[in-house]
Amino acid sequence: MSDLLQLENVTVRFGGLTAVDDVTLTVPKGSVHSVIGPNGAGKTTLFNTVTGVYVPSEGHVRFEGRDLGIPFRLRTIALCAFVALATALFAVLAVNVQTIWEQAIIANYIYQQPFPWSKAMGDAFVSLSTLSFYDGGLPLVFGFVVGGAGTYAVWNASRLTPDKVAERGVSRTFQNIRLFQNMSVLHNVLVGMSGKHRTRFLDVLLRLPRYYREERMATADATELLDFVGLKSHSTEKASALCYGDQRRLEIARALASQPRLLLLDEPAAGMNPTESESLVELIARIRDRGVTVMLIEHHMDVVMNISDRVTVLDYGKKIAEGTPLEVRQNPKVIAAYLGVEEE
Amino acid sequence: MTRTRELQGYAIALALAVLLPFIEGFAFPGLGLAEDFRPIFIFAILGLGLNIIVGYTGLLNLGVAAFMAIGAYSYGILTCDIYPFQLSFWSATAATIVVGALAGVVLGLPAIRLHGDYLAIVTLGFGEIVQDALRNLETITKGTQGINPLPSPRLFGVDFQSGSYLPWYFLLLFILCSVALLVRNLERSRIGRAWIAVREDELAARCMGINPVRAKLLAFSLGASLCSLAGALWASYLGSTGEPGNYDFQVSVIVLCVVMVGGMGSILGVMLGAVVMVGFNSIVLSGLSDLLARQGILSGENVFAVPGNWKYFIFGLALILVTRYRPEGLIPSRVVKIVAPKKAKGA
Repeated sequence: MSDLLQLENVTVRFGGLTAVDDVTLTVPKGSVHSVIGPNGAGKTTLFNTVTGVYVPSEGHVRFEGRDLGIPFRLRTIALCAFVALATALFAVLAVNVQTIWEQAIIANYIYQQPFPWSKAMGDAFVSLSTLSFYDGGLPLVFGFVVGGAGTYAVWNASRLTPDKVAERGVSRTFQNIRLFQNMSVLHNVLVGMSGKHRTRFLDVLLRLPRYYREERMATADATELLDFVGLKSHSTEKASALCYGDQRRLEIARALASQPRLLLLDEPAAGMNPTESESLVELIARIRDRGVTVMLIEHHMDVVMNISDRVTVLDYGKKIAEGTPLEVRQNPKVIAAYLGVEEE
Repeated sequence: MTRTRELQGYAIALALAVLLPFIEGFAFPGLGLAEDFRPIFIFAILGLGLNIIVGYTGLLNLGVAAFMAIGAYSYGILTCDIYPFQLSFWSATAATIVVGALAGVVLGLPAIRLHGDYLAIVTLGFGEIVQDALRNLETITKGTQGINPLPSPRLFGVDFQSGSYLPWYFLLLFILCSVALLVRNLERSRIGRAWIAVREDELAARCMGINPVRAKLLAFSLGASLCSLAGALWASYLGSTGEPGNYDFQVSVIVLCVVMVGGMGSILGVMLGAVVMVGFNSIVLSGLSDLLARQGILSGENVFAVPGNWKYFIFGLALILVTRYRPEGLIPSRVVKIVAPKKAKGA
């Protein structure tokens, strides 16, 4: 089994608080890997780091051997240069629009006479090239700098964002359910397929055949997923109308819709009764059998111990133990973190 | 509302709109009701544009009038014979839509990252800046004179300048129907779903692979292009862009009222909202004024006796009543039911 996800010395700090402290772990392909720990141990922060909600202060997150997040490429420079030039041009035109208009349009246009277009173009260029430094050069430089720097800043901030991570094949559910409450169950799953759509804007606007084909296929896939989690009969209901356990299942279906290779489940069994969590364990096993690697945060130890191949234990942001469920259960450090140690 | 009932609603609305001039001409000649529907159609297009931004995507835009002004002035510059361009009606309208979309992108690119009230303030400021710019770019926009006269279009062999209002009525109705159809296509598609998902929960939408900036920018610029189209039609219909002050904050607020009263995210609702709000203004209030004047009750002295002066009071009252008793609007949308947006931090 090769490694699907690798965290190397990942540290996440919020101001003075170190939420995740130097965590290294690997998740092999096809496994179920649990992350447990007391409240506030940094488990959800770890998930948020993997999905790109937070950028690690230190360390690397590698998925399928490559860093998540877009590398700096030639295209980035081209983009920045293009926007910088466009902004510079816009700034110059905005400052001098009246002058140019006067010299190119008003000077050449005689009422209801044919308009000499090429002469007007020439005059516009002359008018542009004879601008003084304050009218021409300054806005040009200003626009170039602002446009270029702004584009670079925006690009840099969007290097590692959840939508890009989702497109790479990492999907997740949330600790406190975050469904699109006012959309139908089916539409929730369809939104999960967002990254897979290939139709163009015009296909959608004019409802070309390609649109219908894609929509039909997406609906079929979504219905299959709803069947998989056992919600097929609820597909037209509003998501907020589902009962709690079903909302959890819908979140899983929505997350699976993007055909992820890694699925992060953040406390999927929270608030479930023993019967429900048993069927959840069975669902997770079926997800694993589909070839999706599962990473799991969970407090229900019966769920964790039943399904996990490996367990990582976090406490105060540090990894204190890792191993098979059995090993972790007997680890004195883990027992101490959960139950406390007697003072000597 | 179920799908069949919605389709019935569309069919009834369309049939009523098409038949209205004939029914009126037959039963109540001289009432002038259908004539007054032309501004309603234009405000319905504005409402549909704003509906994409506010209704689906949940971005509060208070600068709709600015995009309308951009559309009106672009149309004016492209068609008026004091400029060399002198395009035909259709090509000028198409160009105006493109200009509006570009203006939406130019404003949207830096502003779209702001949330809620902050975006509203930026769009409000944009509305004021556009007015000032149009007033001060005198060599181009003729300042406070406005651009006029604009040539009246001649389409399908019909001269729009002739005495009858019918050509304009049907042209505007046709454009409104096309806009409604296209907006509906977008609403019931991955694009509409993405907009609604971003409005419902931006972080969750992001984690599902939606780029919220791109989705919002698309909504913003589509909305702007529709408002720009409405501006072009407005200028063409009046034969003048009017002065820049015509596109002030009040227009933006009226359009917002149209969307909120009609039903956010509901196409049929927005169109009904336009009929109710704008129709109230141009039909009920002006009719009342005429009546009072004829009865000799109305005098110029007493400002309270002029029905038109009660306009904003009544608009405000309508808005308060709707948000209190029917927050989802007169015709709530099928998928969308507005609830107070909850801000959840973190995951």
